[in-house]
Amino acid sequence: MTEIFKPEVDRRTLLRRAAAVGLLATPAVTMLSACVGGGSDDKDDAADKPAGTVSATNPLGIKEDEPLEILIFNGGLGTKYATDVDIPSYNKLFPNSKVTFNQAEEISTVVQPRFTAGNPPDMINNSGSKLMDQGALVQAGQVQELTDLYAAPSVDITGKTVKDTLIPGTIEQGTFNGKPYVLNYAFTVFGLWYSGKLFKDNGWTVPTTWSDFTALLGKMKAKGITPFGYAGANAPYYMYTLLLTSAAKIGGADILKNIDNLEDGAWTNDAVKQAAAAWAEVGAKYSNKAFLGLKHTEVQLQQNQYKVGLYPSGSWLENEQAKDTPEGFDYQLMPVPSVTTADKLPVTALYAAAGEQYFVASKGKNPRGGMEFLRHMLSKAGAVGFTQLTKTLTVVAGATDGMEISAGLTSGNKALGAAGADTFSFRFDTWYKKLDDELRAATNELIYQGGTADKFVERMQKAADAVKKDSSIQKFSR
Amino acid sequence: MKHGRYPFIIGFLIVPVAIYGTFVIAAYVQAFQLSFTNWRGFSPDVSYIGFDNFTKLFQDSTFWKAIQHHILLLIFLPLLTIVLALFFAFLLNVGGGSKGGRTRGVWGSKFYRVVFFFPQLLALALVAVIFSRVYSSDDSGLINGLLNQVGAGPVLFLADKNLALWSILAVLVWQAVGFYVVLFSAGMGSIPTEIYEAAALDGATRGTLFFKVTLPLLWNTLQVAWVYLGIAAFDAFALVNVMSVDRGGPDGATTVLGLEIYRNAFDYAQFGYASAMGVVLFFLTITFAALTLRVTRRDAIEL
Amino acid sequence: MTYTKTDGPAASYTGSRHASTATQRDKKEIKLFSGFAHIALAVWGLLVIAPLIWVILASFKSNTEIFTQAPFSLPSKISFETYQTAWTEAHVGRYFLNSVFVVAISTAGTMLFGSMAAYVLARYKFVGNRFIYYLFVSGLAFPVFLALVPLFLILQNLGLLNTYTGLILVYIAYSLPFTVFFMTAFFKTLPNQIAEAAIVDGASHTRLFFQVMLPMAKSGLVSITIFNIVGQWNQYLLPVAIMQGAGAQEKWVLTQGIANISVSAGYQANWAALFAALTLSILPMIIVYAFFQRQIQSGLTAGATK
Repeated sequence: MTEIFKPEVDRRTLLRRAAAVGLLATPAVTMLSACVGGGSDDKDDAADKPAGTVSATNPLGIKEDEPLEILIFNGGLGTKYATDVDIPSYNKLFPNSKVTFNQAEEISTVVQPRFTAGNPPDMINNSGSKLMDQGALVQAGQVQELTDLYAAPSVDITGKTVKDTLIPGTIEQGTFNGKPYVLNYAFTVFGLWYSGKLFKDNGWTVPTTWSDFTALLGKMKAKGITPFGYAGANAPYYMYTLLLTSAAKIGGADILKNIDNLEDGAWTNDAVKQAAAAWAEVGAKYSNKAFLGLKHTEVQLQQNQYKVGLYPSGSWLENEQAKDTPEGFDYQLMPVPSVTTADKLPVTALYAAAGEQYFVASKGKNPRGGMEFLRHMLSKAGAVGFTQLTKTLTVVAGATDGMEISAGLTSGNKALGAAGADTFSFRFDTWYKKLDDELRAATNELIYQGGTADKFVERMQKAADAVKKDSSIQKFSR
Repeated sequence: MKHGRYPFIIGFLIVPVAIYGTFVIAAYVQAFQLSFTNWRGFSPDVSYIGFDNFTKLFQDSTFWKAIQHHILLLIFLPLLTIVLALFFAFLLNVGGGSKGGRTRGVWGSKFYRVVFFFPQLLALALVAVIFSRVYSSDDSGLINGLLNQVGAGPVLFLADKNLALWSILAVLVWQAVGFYVVLFSAGMGSIPTEIYEAAALDGATRGTLFFKVTLPLLWNTLQVAWVYLGIAAFDAFALVNVMSVDRGGPDGATTVLGLEIYRNAFDYAQFGYASAMGVVLFFLTITFAALTLRVTRRDAIEL
Repeated sequence: MTYTKTDGPAASYTGSRHASTATQRDKKEIKLFSGFAHIALAVWGLLVIAPLIWVILASFKSNTEIFTQAPFSLPSKISFETYQTAWTEAHVGRYFLNSVFVVAISTAGTMLFGSMAAYVLARYKFVGNRFIYYLFVSGLAFPVFLALVPLFLILQNLGLLNTYTGLILVYIAYSLPFTVFFMTAFFKTLPNQIAEAAIVDGASHTRLFFQVMLPMAKSGLVSITIFNIVGQWNQYLLPVAIMQGAGAQEKWVLTQGIANISVSAGYQANWAALFAALTLSILPMIIVYAFFQRQIQSGLTAGATK
């Protein structure tokens, strides 16, 4: 018998072996200290002061030869607007600042480690399904305050500061506890989308009252069209935006403000309850339960096939479906009809908000340059280029007025004009992702799984109260 | 020989353990560390909060729901997969008739052997996309398209609270079977033919051959398969993430720990809490593996 | 012993054919059994192959055809445009080669180091054996994405970020749990006699491993190699986290390239191009497998005729 069949371990070899294992473990352990706990924090307030000389062409005082790194989310909007419009515009003023452009599909996977390591890109487009929690970023002090940017003069709209050129409410949308941190650049209006052709062919008109609305849904149903539907599998967000739009119309825009601020009873009030009841009925009578298992792409394609009448979405829809929309489909936006005759807001009132987050890393190498880059995005040329390339409006007011870009965009613009000052939006979905998730599930239950308005509001109130009580979640208010 | 033993053992282990320690263990140790913090993922500073994350975890109803789902998967994923894989492997190896006195797999077994493995070749994300189509609730769905034609549909596979988890389980089984067919085939191949011969001389039928000869001799492989599938049952993240209604729905009916960890880490930026869940998941999995190996231990070859 | 005599249970049936009535029953049993076996195998084969056919069909279809029509309806037109798009615009060709390069080296490394570790853990008793074994196995029990941030920092400290060396080492490290787990089990099943004989002949441990045990473990090695190739080929999270920074896009692996298409598919959807790219990424896997399949076969046959 040889030794491998009768193993013996004497103390000496055992100790030797232990030492060897110990040696192996050492580099791993020392490395740890260099990780999370040990990041450097030495460049704190330098970020808020101009690094170069302030001048008329350099109002933010960037250091003219400092390189700049930007990271753009590569999704629906593409990245062409950055590479073809904004970077050239920036480099025209600052030819010696080399711009490094990167794009990513998974923002958090790519960028988060770099924040922890202390070398984030200078300007980041935080978007997509893997976006980072913007609130947590602000809380961690990683986001540059944008006050100086908004006070700086516009690049190409003479005589105005950047702030003056924006649609009202833009800055507030990116404000966290009183300070502007994030630029929400794309502007979207939200409502019910339908095919102008389908309506014209059937002689249907846009309803404004709830009874007209349900009558229209009935006519569609009679024609064998699913009158209304949203994709339960991944887009209940669209449905709850619709529901909360109704709630805001019934009870006024403060309903949404109270929800954002986690006020007591913000969900259990009559306006939310009425809206929930109204939409639950639509879901039960005029939709198709099978949609609970579908994804947004599938429902949208069905609408393009004239199989679905009305679909809740934002103004990105037309561009998203561009490839599959049949000739003459004619995307049109309809504001949500009034649920009661005593609604506080008129039927033209709209959910409209700036979205698509862009922010500057305060602990990056060139925060001033990042802000300067945003100034170029907010120029008129930048806005026009963006809208042309992405079919999406920007927060630069009236930048594309008079330009014929597409039917849906025009329709959305018109609705926005009709709404006037009666536009509103909510913020809780980005502030408290947990509440957003709960609302998605609750909405699916309400619309497609036989839920009731009472159960819905109770459930949401409970979730909101839980968030409010949770000390680990930073609270925001507006 | 004695002198060469430990240098040999250390020599063989040093590189794998070094690589593994540097890139896996070190990273995990750090994640363990984070479970005692309230780190939110973006700042280099962390503060330690002791066992707070764990206390919170045990009061989290979603967490318990996920645990329940794991228990169901833990029972049925290994069971269904192993039964199917054993069955197919047996057919492919000794299921055919005899020719020239040689036992073979059934006709076409070479072909099946290649085909059965296909699901293993697909990335999980792709499998999820494919099965979203298979299960789709309208006419375009592979199953519902057929059901609707005979007027029996639609069955809301992924949108029905009672069916959703089972539908996902079916996909997991679908993907796993091929691997174990190959694994068991390899195991069956290494069973000395003399044993079969002896059994056959005693007049054993295929059934008895399978239960009296194949199964006991494959015990070691089966045990490994069971443990590995059990570990896989603790995962299931990728499929649930892409396939389920509203990620883990409807209404939490399909959620698993992996998904909750992911959600907490990336959606809620609660890395500390997510890491705590990861630690619990880790110990659950390890306990399961150790228990299974202990309970099912037979005279494994110990040198 | 000759081939025919030693082989298989059915030998006895042939042997006793003339005499007993029992064999008649046996023959019937075999027929029934193999009929049933064919049906079962064919059904499962169909279940397995159908989705693949669906993917290939979908690569020729428009979005509307994919999402609103019967799954196996034929595309309205056959055009390889989508494949061209995938190949040129999405640079699938380059990413493909990158993947081949990375996976070839890392799988080789994984198998070498994995089976070395597994062998020692399976066949040698020493203090700490179980500990190291469970250390490896425990790697299966922890979700990879929780390790991403620490992993990034480790690589950064080692200066391996955005390098193939880093990616390959990480691939090896994260494939070890699986490899060690299965190879340990496999080495345990190998018979002792041959190893004993080799030791008696004065072979060193190292020689015993490389010249005796490894060849004996061939069928296990080949299977686990394939699983590693497939696993690393399909790996997505790790390269996304590691291959970033200046010029990273040149070094992307195939999955990253495909994700690039699929994300854009979410918006201005071009699902057909996505499925074309996927077909391009699956096909080589199928070919590799079909090729190695013969190796497994011979491995098995070698085992059966020993």
